[in-house]
Amino acid sequence: MTATLPAPSRAASRSHAPLSRLVAAELRWVLRRPRTLVVLGLLALIPVAVAIGIAAAGAPESGRGPGLIAQVAGNGFVLPVVALGLALTLLLPLAVASAAADAVAGEAAAGTLRGLLISPVGRMRLVVMKSAGVVTVAVLAVVIIAVVGMVAGTVVVGGPGSLITLSGTTLGFGEALGRIALVATWTVGQLLAVGAVALAISTLTEHPLVVLASVLGGMIVFGVLSAIPALEWLRPLLLTTGLTAGTDVLRDPLPLDGLASSSLRALVYVVVGMTITVVRMRRRDA
Amino acid sequence: MRRRWVGAAGAVVAAGAVAAGVVGIGGTAAAQPQLPPVSPEDLVASVMTAQPGPFNGTVGIDNELGLPALPGAPQLGNGSQSARIWSGGDGKGRVALPSGEGEKTLVSDGTTRWAYDATERTATRSTGGAPEQKDPQSDPAGAATQMIGELRRTSQVAVDGTAEVAGRPAYQLVLTPQASERTLLREVRVAVDAEKRIPLQLTVLATGSATPALQVGFDDVTFGPQDPSLFTFTPPPGITVKDAPAREGRPDDRQGPPPGTRTVGDGWDRVIVAQRPAQQPGQEQQRPEGAPDLNALGSPVSGPWGSGRLISTAVGTAIVTDDGRFAAGAVPEQVLTEALAR
Repeated sequence: MTATLPAPSRAASRSHAPLSRLVAAELRWVLRRPRTLVVLGLLALIPVAVAIGIAAAGAPESGRGPGLIAQVAGNGFVLPVVALGLALTLLLPLAVASAAADAVAGEAAAGTLRGLLISPVGRMRLVVMKSAGVVTVAVLAVVIIAVVGMVAGTVVVGGPGSLITLSGTTLGFGEALGRIALVATWTVGQLLAVGAVALAISTLTEHPLVVLASVLGGMIVFGVLSAIPALEWLRPLLLTTGLTAGTDVLRDPLPLDGLASSSLRALVYVVVGMTITVVRMRRRDA
Repeated sequence: MRRRWVGAAGAVVAAGAVAAGVVGIGGTAAAQPQLPPVSPEDLVASVMTAQPGPFNGTVGIDNELGLPALPGAPQLGNGSQSARIWSGGDGKGRVALPSGEGEKTLVSDGTTRWAYDATERTATRSTGGAPEQKDPQSDPAGAATQMIGELRRTSQVAVDGTAEVAGRPAYQLVLTPQASERTLLREVRVAVDAEKRIPLQLTVLATGSATPALQVGFDDVTFGPQDPSLFTFTPPPGITVKDAPAREGRPDDRQGPPPGTRTVGDGWDRVIVAQRPAQQPGQEQQRPEGAPDLNALGSPVSGPWGSGRLISTAVGTAIVTDDGRFAAGAVPEQVLTEALAR
C-alpha cells in the first residue's frame, strides 16, 4: 500500500495544521458561497409558505386536506415535522447533493482540487474536511427548517403551546420540543446517507452536474422502484423506503421501529459512500 | 492497487451484509421449539379460559381474501397492514391503526369507547358493553378464540407440532372441517402461546391454494403491566367530538346488522342472509366516489330463489339478489342458493 502511494503518508507526517483549522477553513469556504446561502434561505421559506397557506385558507372544513398538511391547522408544532417531511422528499437531498458536488467535483472542475491534493494535507484529513462541509450544510438546512417551522407555527398558525398527536393525545411543550429534535436528528441522518453517496459520486467525476443528476435521478428511480409491486423484495434496500418514517414522531406512544430501521439503512449507505470516497481520494493523482 | 479495490469491495459487501441483517432480508427460518405434548382438547379448553393479563404488541395482517377495496373500509382490501395494540387485560384497550399520513385510534376504558380519526380530526364516543363480535384487526387474540369456539364443534381439531410466533414458543392448533361441512376453506391454523395460552396467530387457508388467504398475528408481543393513561382518551382541543348513535353493544364505527338478518347452518358452512338496506328511488347515483357498483360486480345467476349476481372470492361467496336480499358465507354457491331458497 505504501509502496504504490508514498505521497499521502509522507504528506500526512508533514502536515502540521490541526484538523480543526482545516475544517474551519472549509466551512468558511462553504458558507461564503452565495449558492449555499441562497439554498438555505429558500429552504427556510418552505415552512413559512405552508404556515401562510394554512393561515390564509383556514382549517379545511372536515379536516380533510392534502395529507399531513391538514394536521398543521391550529396545531403549530406539527409544522416543523411536516416541513421537514416535505423537504426531505427532494429539496433537502438536492441541497446536500449540491454541497457534495461542490466539495470535490466542483473543485476538480475549477482546477482548485489539484492544489488541495498536492498541499501537505493527508488525504484522510482531506476527506474529513470535505465531509465536514457537507455535514454542516445538512445540519444547517435541517435546523433552519425546524426552527423557522417552530417560529412560523407558533406565530402564524398559532397553537396551544402543545402538540396534538395523530393518536389524539396532547404532548406538553417540553415533549413536543423533544419530538421535533428527534425528527430533526433523524432527518440529518437520512441526509448524511445522501451526502455520503453524493460525495462518493463527486470523487468519481469532474462535473458537479453529474453528481446532482445522479443523486436526484437516483432518488426518483428509487421512488419508481418502490412503487412496482413485483420488486417488493427490493424495498428494504432502498433509501427512499424509510423517508416517511419521520411522521412517526407525531404518533403516541412513539413507535421507534420505523425511525430505527431507516436510520440503520442510512448508516449502511454512509458506510458504503464513505468507503468509496476514502478509496478514491487516497488513490487520486494530484 | 488491486488489493485496495479488493478491500473496498470487501467493505461494500460487509455493509450489504449488515444491511441485509438489519432489514431482515435473510428471512430467519423459525425453529420449532420443544414443548411438552398437549392434547387438542386440553389446548382448546385452555385457550377458552385463558387470562393473559395486560400486554402490548404489534399485529400484522396479510390479506389475500380477494375482496374489492371499499372506500371507508380499505382495510378489507388485499395487502398488508399493521396495528399497535395495548391491552389492560380487563376490558381496557387501545389500538392504533397507522396509515401513511394519519392514524385511527381506538381507546376503551371498559365502559366508554373512543374512536379518533386523525385525518378527519373527529373523535367519536360510544358507551355500552363490549362488542360481541371481535374485530380481528383490533383484537386478534379475541377473534381467534371466538373462531375456535364457533368452529370446534364441526371440526377435527389437532395439534400440529410447534412454532415460534413473535419470538414466543407456540402450539399449532389446526381446525379442519368435518367431511359433512360444505366450505371453501381447507383449514384454520391457530398458533397458541405455550405459556399464556392466547392465540398469537390465525391463518386461514382456502381449498386449492397453498398460500394463506388471511394471516393475522402478532409480530411482537410483550406481557406485563401497561401504562394506565393509555386506556383513557381526552379529546384534544380543536377537534370535533361526536356521540355515536346508540346501538346495543355495537362498536360505533361498524354497522350493526339491520333487522331481518338470519343465519342458516352453523360452523364452517354458516350462511348469513340479510336484507339490503332499502334504497330510495333517485339515490342510485349517490354512491360514494370510487365505490364499486354492486350491480356490476360478479356474474349473473338465477334459480328457483330468484335471480341476482354472484360474487366469488378466495374464501367466500356472496349472492346479491335483484329483490334486495344478500347471502354470504365461506361456502360454495350451491349452499348459498339453498339458504336463499329456505
